[in-house]
Amino acid sequence: MNWGQLAITVVTLVSILGVVTLVLNMQYGQAGMINFGVVAYVAAGAYTYVLLTQPPPSEASLDQYAIGLDLPVWVGFIGAALAGLAFAALTGWPTLRLRGEYLALTTFAFAEVFHSFIVNEQRFANGTRGLVGVPRPYREELAFIDYDILLAGVALLFLAIVYFIFERMVRSPYGRALEALRDDELALVTSGKRSTRFRMEIFLFTAPFAAMAGAFYIWYTTLAIPDLFTAEMTFIVWIALILGGEGSNRGALIGITLVILFEELIRAIPFETIRAAQIAASLEVAALGVLLIVFLRWQPFAALTRTRRRVLRS
Amino acid sequence: MRVAQLIVLGLGTGAFLLIATLGFALIRRVEGFLNIAHAELMSVAAFVTWFLNSSLGWHFALAALVAITVTALIALVIARLIYDPIKHLGPPILLITSVGVAFLLHGITSAVIGVGIRSFEIPRFDAWTVGGLLITPYRIALLALAAVVSVGLALFLNKTRTGKSIRAIAINRELAGSRGINVTRATRATWLAAGMLAGLGGVALGVLGTLTTDIAFQQILVILAVAIVAGLGSLYGVIAAAFIVAIAMDLSLLILPGGYRPVIAFAIVIVVLLVRPQGVAGSREDVMA
Repeated sequence: MNWGQLAITVVTLVSILGVVTLVLNMQYGQAGMINFGVVAYVAAGAYTYVLLTQPPPSEASLDQYAIGLDLPVWVGFIGAALAGLAFAALTGWPTLRLRGEYLALTTFAFAEVFHSFIVNEQRFANGTRGLVGVPRPYREELAFIDYDILLAGVALLFLAIVYFIFERMVRSPYGRALEALRDDELALVTSGKRSTRFRMEIFLFTAPFAAMAGAFYIWYTTLAIPDLFTAEMTFIVWIALILGGEGSNRGALIGITLVILFEELIRAIPFETIRAAQIAASLEVAALGVLLIVFLRWQPFAALTRTRRRVLRS
Repeated sequence: MRVAQLIVLGLGTGAFLLIATLGFALIRRVEGFLNIAHAELMSVAAFVTWFLNSSLGWHFALAALVAITVTALIALVIARLIYDPIKHLGPPILLITSVGVAFLLHGITSAVIGVGIRSFEIPRFDAWTVGGLLITPYRIALLALAAVVSVGLALFLNKTRTGKSIRAIAINRELAGSRGINVTRATRATWLAAGMLAGLGGVALGVLGTLTTDIAFQQILVILAVAIVAGLGSLYGVIAAAFIVAIAMDLSLLILPGGYRPVIAFAIVIVVLLVRPQGVAGSREDVMA
């Protein structure tokens, strides 16, 4: 096994999915909102980036997607962020004035619907086939360095920036209001704050970061296929958050690192038959389920990452 | 004519959705959380039936009966081992845990069953023509079954001692306990009932079409839609909501390809949340943040 390559993969994936975990931590850990469709915001960003930066489909190829604007990379990134914002508005607006479980259900359902849209609509992005071999930006210009290492570095920088922004937010008076929103909404409302507005703000503010992570994910995989954006991604990020102890940005990063390491190590095991690989993949899903159950119940690492606070909500 | 035919189709789909959602709604009502793993229990029932029926050659009815019993017991074991100890952590933690349970059940079923399309060994009937409309005997049977299940559940909750104690703990667990109701017993009965309903739903799924291990995941989405349209926590609302969602999804085939059925279900959810978030049968105070 090539340990160097494995390390680069882990750093890149941890950086990209780490941003998504941080977003989830801001939404759930800080503000108490359950987003079960976080993959939809990642996918929205990824697909927007691809459609904005890809060349239009050529006549000769089998491509069926209708839009390809061939715009610069930075436009793709801004577009991705705006797509995340639009999706957050669409899902947040009807549900955030309602009780928490409605957001959980709507985001979950919305992610599934968006997924089935990508799968079924050939003209959007080639349906199940997707777009393969999406070019990595400045690949030729940067031929003199190892692109994988560069990408890992850029993704890590992106993670650091997002971490810095979110940490500043958490430590600000605004962040304390968010904590109140989670821990004692009544007290927040009594002190003259509008809880619905806080929820909407944090939901709209954080979603674009998940969408931008989606654009990075395209750089890494060079694939825009529906199979990469399934509910499994949502739940992997959730497991990471619970593992690290929700409510702590540092914990979120520890959690995602452990989960990605676990996954990549399993993936590195060679299997003799397709059936064996399929069983292993299924058991990995089962193992993730067990992790989620066990860590929610005992929260073993929560004590490491932050002082344990009241998790009870009446 | 095409519209009438699709409505007839929708009635069958609605009957299935009704059976599938009742157990989910019962748990939401009594235990107060959304059990995402409900659909995976359906999948367990469907594959136990398939195994006994197709692999071991049992009669379908016997296989289904055993599968429903097994599913009810699994539901009870999961509730006692996993949900009960964390009840004090509140509904959000229970909801996220139920996702873990769904992953666990899904991982196990797909490891055991593997990929591929399965179906029950049951006689295939030609569709009957009634007044120019095609309808299959299985869909009629399913409608009858849904009616029996709905009436049965209503009678159980209103007329039997256990049923009444379930309703009591749904409203106020502590008060019910202090008034001498056996809360533990009522909770177990709830899980057995919900497990049986999930089992029945899983069997119905296999009768109506073919089975893959991903089937449950596709169903939970529509179950959630039905539960929201009904009003979370409402049981009688489910009856109306199941048929509304089913007929809307099947009518959408007039203008959209079949792959868009979940999109229709979701569109209904959004409209309901905007216009009447309490659903067809809920009260508005219960849903506002």
